[in-house]
Amino acid sequence: MKTKQTIAVIGATGNMGSAISRSIATGNYRLLLIGGKPEEAKALAKQIRKENESADVEGIECSVEATWEADIIIAAVPYEAEKAVAEKIREKANQKIVVSISNPLNSTYDGLVTSPDISAAEELQKLLPNSKVVKAFNTTFAADFSTPVIEGKQVDAFIAGNDEEALKTVSELVGTAGFSPLIAGDLQVSRTLENMQLLLIQLGIKYNYNWLAGWKILHN
Amino acid sequence: MYKSFLQNFNSKVRLTEEEEAFIKNYLTPKKLRKKQYLLQETDICKFIAFVEKGALRAYSVDENGKEHIIQFALEGWTISDLYSFLTSEPATYNIDALEDSELVLISKAAHEELLQKLPKYETYFRIQITGAYIAMQKRLTSIISSPLEERYKNLTALYPTIVERVPQHMIASYMGLQPETLSRIRRKIAAKK
Ligand SMILES: NC(=O)c1ccc[n+]([C@@H]2O[C@H](COP(=O)([O-])OP(=O)(O)OC[C@H]3O[C@@H](n4cnc5c(N)ncnc54)[C@H](OP(=O)(O)O)[C@@H]3O)[C@@H](O)[C@H]2O)c1
Repeated sequence: MKTKQTIAVIGATGNMGSAISRSIATGNYRLLLIGGKPEEAKALAKQIRKENESADVEGIECSVEATWEADIIIAAVPYEAEKAVAEKIREKANQKIVVSISNPLNSTYDGLVTSPDISAAEELQKLLPNSKVVKAFNTTFAADFSTPVIEGKQVDAFIAGNDEEALKTVSELVGTAGFSPLIAGDLQVSRTLENMQLLLIQLGIKYNYNWLAGWKILHN
Repeated sequence: MYKSFLQNFNSKVRLTEEEEAFIKNYLTPKKLRKKQYLLQETDICKFIAFVEKGALRAYSVDENGKEHIIQFALEGWTISDLYSFLTSEPATYNIDALEDSELVLISKAAHEELLQKLPKYETYFRIQITGAYIAMQKRLTSIISSPLEERYKNLTALYPTIVERVPQHMIASYMGLQPETLSRIRRKIAAKK
């Protein structure tokens, strides 16, 4: 696509938000970064522009304004914050792609706080009924973004959603970030994807992967 | 938000409150800053844009890199590359914002669904297309056969605030004239007043 798309990253100053912003700033996107503290979002934008001259990125104070300008919104916030964020952006996110990256982990990292018959992504879709929620980036660690190739293999990044066109758009985004995009299925598959990251975290703790680990499907 | 879009819609086909609420589910609110593109040529145009606030233009670029403005869109106007939107062939127009603008987009998918689910939308769209066809025929006839002064008057009648809002060279481009020719016509019209 030649026309530049605008992406609002809500929670851009966090581990994931900043890693995603940095990596997709290399693509044909215009990024609007929103953080809990506006100065931090502005400083991050400045730093990304310094690292990458062609990056079109700007820190912006209000998530509602940013959502209004955006074609795609990435909710890079903790699971617990998603309800409040959704309520704020709902009107301006109408018909737009909203990327859910969250893993609803409990505080001891040994389980999910959501019940087995739902996922954080499906909950977000209920909160934003007229948006196109797509699950992505939840099976990759923040540290993977600077090293999306581990042991010579490009890490897979799973994507789930109900809208064909939105899945295609997010696949391109995931590819720009350096991962190998893999569409896993409709939004309900997010239940599996969120549990996959729980497993990876547990394995990481057990075997000391130091947060640099990812999934790769081997096939013929 | 959506106020002037719904006003425009209601002036053509009257909606009930329920229908207004229904249609709102399908609309995409979009803010565009001055000079930003809504569409670039070779992409497939996947929307129709209604201007709630601001100003946009659609233009093509010839092989020498020269821009030719096809259409302006001010408040209450609709803009798109309809050929691309309807056929899903690559767009031949670029659409960008001449001022900070607030738009209501109807995506192709939303459009298809609304055509199916809301007969009044089909009526609205038919009226829009009819209007666009009439405007196109008028513009074509005017370009081919009307004297320059009359063409300039047609333009200012069509877009009353355009002269104050866009640079002269764009108006010249819309009329297919050199900027000097346009200034000459404007002086002539001013002298007659
Ligand atoms: N870390 C990982 O490797 C990883 C991997 C996969 C998925 N995820 C998921 O990614 C999400 C973010 O994780 P993280 O590790 O990046 O967390 P983090 O470093 O704590 O960042 C969270 C971001 O969200 C903002 N935020 C917090 N509460 C907010 C609210 N109520 N409204 C608006 N913004 C709010 C924070 O801003 P302030 O700091 O200014 O409050 C910060 O920018 C989580 O859902 C997590 O499950 C993380």
